[in-house]
Amino acid sequence: MPTLIKLADGRYGAAEDVFTTVADEDAIPEGPVILSLTRFQAEGDALLSAGRPVGVRILPDEAIEDLAYDLPRLAVVALAFPKYADGRAYSSAALLRQRLGYAGEVRAVGDVLREQASNMVRCGFDAFVPADGATADDWAAAAGRYRHVYQRAVDARAPVFEERS
Amino acid sequence: MYRYDAIDKEFLADRAAEFRGQVARRLSGEITEDQFKPLRLMNGLYLQLHAYMLRIAIPYGSLDSRQMRRMAHIARVYDKGYGHFTTRQNLQLHWIKLGQVPDILDLLAEVDLHAIQTSGNCIRNVTADPYAGATAEEIDDPRVWSEVIRQWSTVHPEFSYLPRKFKFAVTAAAKDRTAARVHDIGLVLRRARDGSLGFEVIVGGGQGRTPYVGPTIREHLPVDSLLSYLQAILRVYNRHGRRDNKYKARIKILVASLGAAEFARQVEEEWGRIDSPQADLPDTELARIRGAFTPLAFEALPARSDAFESAKAASPSLARFARNNVKPHKKSGYGIVEISLKAHGATPGDASADQMDLVADLAERYSLDDIRVTHEQNLVLPHVKLDDLPAVHAALAEAGLATPNIGLISDIIACPGLDYCALANARAIPIAQAIAQRFEDADRAELIGELKIKISGCINACGHHHVGNIGILGVDKKGEEFYQLSLGGSGQEDASLAQILGPGMSAERVPDAIETLVDTYLSVRQGEERFLDTVRRVGMAPFKEAVYADAH
Amino acid sequence: MKALTANRLIDGEVVFWLDGRWVERFADAQLFADDDAAGPAAVETGLAQSTVIVEPYLIDVVPAPGGWAPVSYRERLRALGPTNEPTHGKQAEGGAGIEAILAATGAARSTGRVDLIRRK
Repeated sequence: MPTLIKLADGRYGAAEDVFTTVADEDAIPEGPVILSLTRFQAEGDALLSAGRPVGVRILPDEAIEDLAYDLPRLAVVALAFPKYADGRAYSSAALLRQRLGYAGEVRAVGDVLREQASNMVRCGFDAFVPADGATADDWAAAAGRYRHVYQRAVDARAPVFEERS
Repeated sequence: MYRYDAIDKEFLADRAAEFRGQVARRLSGEITEDQFKPLRLMNGLYLQLHAYMLRIAIPYGSLDSRQMRRMAHIARVYDKGYGHFTTRQNLQLHWIKLGQVPDILDLLAEVDLHAIQTSGNCIRNVTADPYAGATAEEIDDPRVWSEVIRQWSTVHPEFSYLPRKFKFAVTAAAKDRTAARVHDIGLVLRRARDGSLGFEVIVGGGQGRTPYVGPTIREHLPVDSLLSYLQAILRVYNRHGRRDNKYKARIKILVASLGAAEFARQVEEEWGRIDSPQADLPDTELARIRGAFTPLAFEALPARSDAFESAKAASPSLARFARNNVKPHKKSGYGIVEISLKAHGATPGDASADQMDLVADLAERYSLDDIRVTHEQNLVLPHVKLDDLPAVHAALAEAGLATPNIGLISDIIACPGLDYCALANARAIPIAQAIAQRFEDADRAELIGELKIKISGCINACGHHHVGNIGILGVDKKGEEFYQLSLGGSGQEDASLAQILGPGMSAERVPDAIETLVDTYLSVRQGEERFLDTVRRVGMAPFKEAVYADAH
Repeated sequence: MKALTANRLIDGEVVFWLDGRWVERFADAQLFADDDAAGPAAVETGLAQSTVIVEPYLIDVVPAPGGWAPVSYRERLRALGPTNEPTHGKQAEGGAGIEAILAATGAARSTGRVDLIRRK
């Protein structure tokens, strides 16, 4: 069972994953589920109306803007990294937070390595399913590797030019 | 010159510590080579044919004597006593041991140097005009904006895993010494009619397998909007650049496939939605960075130096050096001195540790402690008093650094090629050596005038062959090295791509072919016309006929 | 014939397989017949030594005057060192094995002349 690490109030902790990630060909089980975008667009309304917590898994080539209307009702947006080097989800996360005003969970899934921790947190991810066996402590250490950051981003960290002034 | 403060220094220390940990995890087997490779590349470390290669960033090609001496020290202690200056103003060390890299990075960090983002699919070290702060041509100091971009792009959270590498060039002079039009983004500072400072924004130029001269997508971007606009460009590219094929992943392919107008529209639309006050640099920080580049303490000197004039009259070699390697400075009584790393028969761009130390000494004594690296693989002492030129020339000559060939036929750009590089198909260095030796006659070289030969050992075009007045591309033809010649390229403000001359040829034939091209040029040249202008006027035909006349 | 080569992890040095260990000189490399299963088996062994070497692969070799040489240009340069600096790399040591590679000609996929351009 892969670990789910959540960031809340500046602390990283292992969390129980109450969501079932549903493949497109599988039947939808009981309880909270994470669906693909196409599955969500077909079946999401019914599930949400029934009061189910629903999340959507977004692939890098899917436009995050397509979720804009549904975002207030979503419990999780899971942004997929098919390969760690595919950096599109960083833009998707930043847009979710800064432009679309999404306040729910933004989860990194797929080829998720601790080397990416700092960038992910800075772009607004707050939940992580590491593929490299990283623990919550490993993740916290990696995310805090640099004492300084050079840019403003989604997170609240003060960039160097604010430290200097 | 920008000096790192405690914050910059702590950042470098953190980065070096992180890489030390990553190397340890690799050596212990905790991470695989596949996992380690992108991490070492982000720190400029390649595995080449014979050893590891470390590419040290020289931000916007500017360094001081302390930094140059430290690089010389590292070359001496950890390499074979030399370094190779590259076409992107960086320094490569070709015989590095992985186990020693963490110590090397610590040594570099002590003098505010590093290898961050000199490789990988991220924003690379920024190229800038090597005459910045010294030439009268410039309307602002491009180093200010290069430093702004350096800081903004360092471990950028959103743009560290782009579809492909991403290179900036920044210049503020009419004469482009950065190849801005063949970069992913070229920024050319200009003043509008109302006097306001802005950037001409050129996007999607590049070389490699599909070369483009980049189109201008904005004529005048107000300078204080730079970072928000760059964020918009990078975001459009990060989201929509191709990731299915690494040869089609550069931004030039996106711009070409959308068309420059549509690409510009998408950028402007994205820019319009960005919270600019949040994204742009505050005025206070911009002022702080600008303050680091305040004009130096130049002396008030007469335009003419009697000492220099009489030394020139007495020394033809000094006179020749002055004609070719000394460029006008914005302050009277000063000159910009180019140090050629293209001695005839030497490896283009290579400098020994002793030579690096000497350049550091000269910079400290004669050039306000300022050294530049050019993308044409030479060094520059940007602020030398004319009175001091005889002494500087004598010291350079003694060290084999006074070759008077800047911009001439033997001032050849060449990538390391198959002698070192794991990607190369053919050697580049021996071709450059053979051509330079063929044209050793300095009088003849001056008669020929400006002629830029650029040699790449493979289609990735690190040797800029697409923008050579004469470009030479090494290819592998059934296991044998072959060379394809092209003509008419320029990487300057009049940028153009070279056109292929004809079938490839063996290495032995290349110097003869160059000789034929030069003879043809001289026979049809009008007045003082440059080689490039002759090619543009008469076209390829006479050159092609001459080179391939006896091929049948 | 074939030989197995790789770069050593700790310093990047070009190395060759010899009976279960990695040696620095091409002349010392173990040669496998093209159809000898021991060649691919050695590759497998090499792949498992990921903290010792990087990217093991077999190269084609051919007889050369006084010894053997890699077929391809690139592999000859790896076995020798860069042609612009004759004192750098393995070639600096000289000896019969180096001379054999320098003298190699007539390979199937190459003219085999590393020396197309006169060396310094």
